[in-house]
Amino acid sequence: MLNRKGILMGNKNILIISFILILSLLAGCGQDNIQANEKLNKNNDNLVIRLEGGDWGYPTPFLHYRRGPGAYKMKLIFDSLLEKDEKGLIPWLAKEWEIKNDGKEYIFKLNKNIKWHDGNKLTADDVKFTFEYYKAHPPVWNNLIVNGKNIIENVDIIDDYTIKFIVNEKNATYLERVGTMPIIPKHIWENVKDPLKFYREEAVIGCGPYKLTNYSREQGIYKFKAFENYWGPKQKVDVIEFVPVSDPILAFEKGDIDTLMASPDILNRYENNEGFKVTKNKPFWGYRLIFNMDNRPELKDKSLRKVFAYGINRDELVQKVARGAGIVASMGYLPKAHKWYNPDIKKYNFDIEKARKLINGKEYSFKLLIGNSPKEVKIAELIKLSLSKVGINIEVKSVDNKTRDGLVKKGDFELAIIGHGGWGRDPDLLRDMYYSSETMESNSPASGSLPGFYNEKINELALLQMKQLNFDERKETIYKLQEVIAQEVPQIPLFNTIGYFVFRPLKYDGWMYTYDHHYPEHCKLSYLERK
Amino acid sequence: MGRIINIIKDFSLVGKISLIALVIILIIAIFAPYLSKYPHDKPVASPLKSPTKEHILGTDDLGIDLWAQIIHGARISLIVGLGTALIAGVGGSTIGILAGYFGGFIDKFLMRLADVMIVLPELPTMIVLGVFFGSSIYNIIIVLSLFSWIKPARIVRSKTLSIKEENFIKIAQIYGAKFHYITIKHIMPYIFPLILISFIKLINRAIIAEASLSFLGLGDPTSKSWGLILNYAINFSGIYFTPYWKWWVLSPLIAITITVVSIAIIGREFEKIFKLKI
Amino acid sequence: MNKPIIGKALEYIITFFIILTLNFMVPRLMPGDPFTFLSNDEVGVSFTFTEEEIKKYKDYYGLNKPITTQYVDYLKNTLSGYLGYSIFYNDEVLNIITERITWTISLVFISTLISAFSGSLLGSISAYYRHRKIDKVLYFFFVSISQIPPFLIGLLILYYFGAYLKLFPLSGGITPFMEYNSYWHKIIDLAYHFILPALTLSFVNIGNFYLVSRNSVIEILSKDYITTAKAKALKKRRIVFVHALRNAIFPIVTRIFLSFGTVIGGAVLIENVFNYPGLGLLMKEAVFYRDYPLIQGIFTIMALFVLTMNLLSDLINKKLDPRLS
Repeated sequence: MLNRKGILMGNKNILIISFILILSLLAGCGQDNIQANEKLNKNNDNLVIRLEGGDWGYPTPFLHYRRGPGAYKMKLIFDSLLEKDEKGLIPWLAKEWEIKNDGKEYIFKLNKNIKWHDGNKLTADDVKFTFEYYKAHPPVWNNLIVNGKNIIENVDIIDDYTIKFIVNEKNATYLERVGTMPIIPKHIWENVKDPLKFYREEAVIGCGPYKLTNYSREQGIYKFKAFENYWGPKQKVDVIEFVPVSDPILAFEKGDIDTLMASPDILNRYENNEGFKVTKNKPFWGYRLIFNMDNRPELKDKSLRKVFAYGINRDELVQKVARGAGIVASMGYLPKAHKWYNPDIKKYNFDIEKARKLINGKEYSFKLLIGNSPKEVKIAELIKLSLSKVGINIEVKSVDNKTRDGLVKKGDFELAIIGHGGWGRDPDLLRDMYYSSETMESNSPASGSLPGFYNEKINELALLQMKQLNFDERKETIYKLQEVIAQEVPQIPLFNTIGYFVFRPLKYDGWMYTYDHHYPEHCKLSYLERK
Repeated sequence: MGRIINIIKDFSLVGKISLIALVIILIIAIFAPYLSKYPHDKPVASPLKSPTKEHILGTDDLGIDLWAQIIHGARISLIVGLGTALIAGVGGSTIGILAGYFGGFIDKFLMRLADVMIVLPELPTMIVLGVFFGSSIYNIIIVLSLFSWIKPARIVRSKTLSIKEENFIKIAQIYGAKFHYITIKHIMPYIFPLILISFIKLINRAIIAEASLSFLGLGDPTSKSWGLILNYAINFSGIYFTPYWKWWVLSPLIAITITVVSIAIIGREFEKIFKLKI
Repeated sequence: MNKPIIGKALEYIITFFIILTLNFMVPRLMPGDPFTFLSNDEVGVSFTFTEEEIKKYKDYYGLNKPITTQYVDYLKNTLSGYLGYSIFYNDEVLNIITERITWTISLVFISTLISAFSGSLLGSISAYYRHRKIDKVLYFFFVSISQIPPFLIGLLILYYFGAYLKLFPLSGGITPFMEYNSYWHKIIDLAYHFILPALTLSFVNIGNFYLVSRNSVIEILSKDYITTAKAKALKKRRIVFVHALRNAIFPIVTRIFLSFGTVIGGAVLIENVFNYPGLGLLMKEAVFYRDYPLIQGIFTIMALFVLTMNLLSDLINKKLDPRLS
């Protein structure tokens, strides 16, 4: 087997050799074996992990792209006050915290001896600066806006390692919002007027476990090296490299990359194979069908919406479109693996008879707006077929994804399908999605996409849960909220996908899932030593 | 018509085979609904079945019969090809005749327009226009036509220019013959072979361009052309590591290849024969 | 002598101007805007803009101004060489394009050379053996190959040479993070990544060159001076490759320059197949994100390139073929 380094490092007559090789291999000695345990690095001190790359922007809080995994690359460089593990928020830069004054004050105690990549020390001053800077220059991933307003009223330094945030109101989500913002060094950013143009090397100095040592936009490559003076847990992976890939499966089999999101049809190559390990991703990515009740007021009728809920065979969608790698979504929106999922809410199993009864002999026709990915087209085709049996005639209109997003945002549609991630986040997302307000208040894609929907009870519960700092109380409200949502059917969550994550355990086995995210490559703790 | 039959008699063996292949494809496209007992848009069997007697090309991931899809796709691909060739061929020839016959400002204007079109990088512009117009099959035909009229226009123009100087046209003009009379009676017979050949080439261009657009994910997802079937198959994650590609990828691929190659060869045959006769 | 050149230049300027105008209009008419991200794909997240942010960014990028002002600004900027500021990539369009353009241009140039050279060589061979089997086989082969969509050829080549034989890298333009001992190593590495896309792209045009050279060589072979040469009992091979091909070079050169438009189109597709870091890949992304300034920038550059090549072909035509002027 040739590897590319062999060819490259070889002598200078390489072209001739490769030419001869082409000829000989053309003659028919090509081989097709899977490279499972190539280059075992296990006992090597220098563990290099290669992952699928692509250009997702310069990994500063301001310059990573709005779409794609750029944000998680930024998080390798920049630590935040808190971090997430399998169960919830854990202490990170802040070793402990306290919530006081009925949820209006947050006091964080910082770890000492935290160093920036350039050797300077991190103090409360940097934290204060960060939040003030974010107020003037919102980062791409901005958790600090609720109801269109920045939640931070004041940041006070108590001593070098203690900091107090005064927030605008009592809110159950604020701890996560404040705790997950990446902290940036004051001594670098205080002179930066326009962070959108700050491409200098200093821009990627953080206090996180990895330093960016190489980035090329046109090639879509990143190289991260473990930061030797890191304050926290030791890095298990010394170097993380993101490399360009044209076909992930080919690249994985060739050993160019170390992990793969596999479709169920090729799983048999890796299951029961010692060289590989397969884990299931969390079902926090999904498709949903949304109604525009402003454009088609008849959809304000709950029972018509229920016709959709019963008349669409969501199980078939999972089997055929996701090839079995998914679960039927919960009508209460929060997916089954979600920490706050309520298992006892109304389920709408496919039932043509019930749907027929509900529609009561009437006939409707709707235009269904979708993007142009093959999966969405297939979902639309299947929905169209099964609804036609109930008496709902669907006309599918497929446009380019961006066009669809634009039309949905403008409210220029009757029915639409969108697919996105983030279904595992804090249940406050229910408020974001179902609370009937006119403003597009956060930068989550879910926000404000149910035009014309209004329900007093949901609004009430959505606001209530937000104020409940007590875990059990809030949990009860969230459960109740899901129950009401499932009865109202304001939209139809179709299905959540379960990706299969394949990796070579002999090379690296540290992959983990945080409680709220579906993909281990994005989790910082995947690369660090755990207790 | 008789002339064309005579020409066909002069085809080489490969040419004749191509012609037969094309005629078969045409027949299949026309009679598509009668040639398959399965619908082309509804799942009828379990997904991804390998070819059997029941489903001679197997099924795709939704369980839709592939043979039904391919013969229906023949319709779509040929509609795109013929539609574009018709619009661009007729439009381009008209522009060419107008520019060549009248000359002067009209000529300047039309040829400038052609220059602009020729400088626009074709595929990128089609991507932009495709997104702009939306991706229905008719819009695709329009967009493709916008880019295809230049060649026939230029060829027809230069031929018209040279015929215009012939004595018999001058005489006809002196006797008061009008533009449309001269065009139909005197110019058409000379430029018809050129138009025919351009027409044939345009069909191919359009079929290929549509497949390319589909490949980039910009086709019309609701009318399944061969390009789109192929696009779906290729986008099926890991298809080359499963046995599915053997029927799902190969059948549209072979269909496209046979069609465009046989059309191309027929075009060449016409070219060869006309060159000798004109 | 000078007047036609000025006229020609004027024509080109007008063409360029029209293209700039089209270029300004089309992206703005496209549905969707650069600020909305509702959906995303399965690995990743997306952050759409809040109303407030949109307003801020629109001011920042000048998208709130009246369309006429934007147009005038655009013309002014473009003519002074400033192509704008990309919304998605947060950088100057010119920077982004310069990073990528060398990849595309070298791909386009080298593959054109390959296809021109091998195409005309095979074309002459075909003409030399006219009516013989080898001619018929070559003819059939090239007529067919020139019709197969380039992306299919690309996929075939990628899977066979890259995946099945594992001879060449599957994607990218250069080995990531490689440290080179010498320039020589770097060049080899570049070439190594370059081979498959360039080979694929060469197929896009080789049929054309083959047919052009075959036709012109056949035509020239039937001319008088060749008959004279034959009479002088010069060897046929010499006649074809020295006399005939030399004369056929003129249509081939013209064809080279005129083919750049098509080749760039092919490059867009092929870069997408091989994940090659050129303008084609960027173009697709720019359209996807509705990044107006970037779309315009890429178009302007591509159009300028094709326009220049056409101008060159005009000039060379005049030089090579005095009859035209």
